Amino acid sequence: MMKRTILYDEHLALKAKMVDFAGWEMPVQYTGIKDETAAVREAQGMFDVSHMGEIRVAGTGAGEFLDYVLSRKISLKNPELTNYAFLCYEDGGVVDDLMVYQLDTEDYWLVVNAANTDKDFAHLQEILTKYEQQNEISISNETDNYGLIAIQGTGSLIPTLNALTPIYPALNISEKIGNLKRFRQVSFPLNDKHLVVSRTGYTGEDGYEVYLPADDTTKLWRNLLKENIKPCGLGARDALRLEAGLPLYGHELSSQINPLEAGLGKFVELDRDFVGKAMMGKQQRKSIALISEDKSIPRDGYQVFFQDQEIGYITSGSFSPTLNKGIAFALVTADLAEGITEVEVAIRRKKHTYKITTTPFV
Amino acid sequence: MAEYRDDRYYVESHEWILTDGDTATVGISDFAQEELGDIVYVEADSVGESLEKGEIFGSVESVKVASDLFMPIDGEVLEFNEVLEEEPELINEDAYAAWIIKIKVSDPSQIDDLLDAEKYQEIAE
Repeated sequence: MMKRTILYDEHLALKAKMVDFAGWEMPVQYTGIKDETAAVREAQGMFDVSHMGEIRVAGTGAGEFLDYVLSRKISLKNPELTNYAFLCYEDGGVVDDLMVYQLDTEDYWLVVNAANTDKDFAHLQEILTKYEQQNEISISNETDNYGLIAIQGTGSLIPTLNALTPIYPALNISEKIGNLKRFRQVSFPLNDKHLVVSRTGYTGEDGYEVYLPADDTTKLWRNLLKENIKPCGLGARDALRLEAGLPLYGHELSSQINPLEAGLGKFVELDRDFVGKAMMGKQQRKSIALISEDKSIPRDGYQVFFQDQEIGYITSGSFSPTLNKGIAFALVTADLAEGITEVEVAIRRKKHTYKITTTPFV
Repeated sequence: MAEYRDDRYYVESHEWILTDGDTATVGISDFAQEELGDIVYVEADSVGESLEKGEIFGSVESVKVASDLFMPIDGEVLEFNEVLEEEPELINEDAYAAWIIKIKVSDPSQIDDLLDAEKYQEIAE
């Protein structure tokens, strides 16, 4: 049986179209991908992303352990920041891309892709068993204990505060969240759990992600509906992240595509030892961003050509509802010269010219 | 709820066909457009070709996916409904009015093997 988030019944009540996403029964759309995408770009939308995994790594030395297993030296970062990083295999291939939250001293959350939660957990456990200070560090999967709602779009603050404050009247929510800067988080201890709010997202817009005890999640969702925040499904989420030029695991990154090839080297600190350092120098391919010249739409797996030579393939491709054009990331041979401005994408019977562009697309 | 019109025939790949003498129009069912969601691109680059039942005559794309379109019977593709080039969303608005291609029917007896609205609905749902 497929897994369901705590908001499953809410999605059915809203007549969402439900699909299987990595073993989770999730809303792909409510009213339509185009108007849901537009809501986030022009107003605000919300996403149930409770299926994402929260893996807690805590105990004396947890920070140093994360420094060792992740692509960045997490323990030295400002604890208010949410940090994007990679969990890698020894050879530099990617186990997952994730966000690191520091909730307390030596108490961290890794927020991971739903499809990878179990794999990540096993990977971390395996490394820990060989790790010197293993007795001090505990790793736990907190996913089922928490709901996660992303509120995205300019102007998300007031509705988020209005929806959250009545649920937690005793917490000083409006001041702490009201002053939160981009890519920062604040956590509030709640008995044995936490309320965590970060000014982050996966759409390229300003917005907030709220992690809260599973039992409180429906209240927040309903309060946000009363604030006229439009529910958006995974279809719009994927269109928005691609428009924003953000990578997706299994597409731009995988066990076979390392972060350097994906063009994400700025999230890798190579001047030290960590699991995956061997990616250094392994850069046979590179990621490029493409935009259509005609009405064609590039899709995952389509072949990319330069002067009739096959040079790579599309890793993510979609129609961009905001631009009304086809947009894509492609992984191509690293020796494609820098000055080249156009390539061709094979779409069914024809090859279509695509301009090489920069991200974000919008 | 998807609508199923009994003035025309269907195939399992979700195309409908509506005959008019020895020509016919072909489109996709209301069920198919609902499944696809916002349709953003339609193409039929087979105009002028004679195709057999089951061969690809074009494609329809939503934001998320591209789907091939299949000939419901043998025929020559006479015309593509070019209005759909600029307004592919017409298929979402009325899948039975927004025909995609017009064909010349090669063998009218093939119509008898197609699905009527009731049988198609059973298969689709």
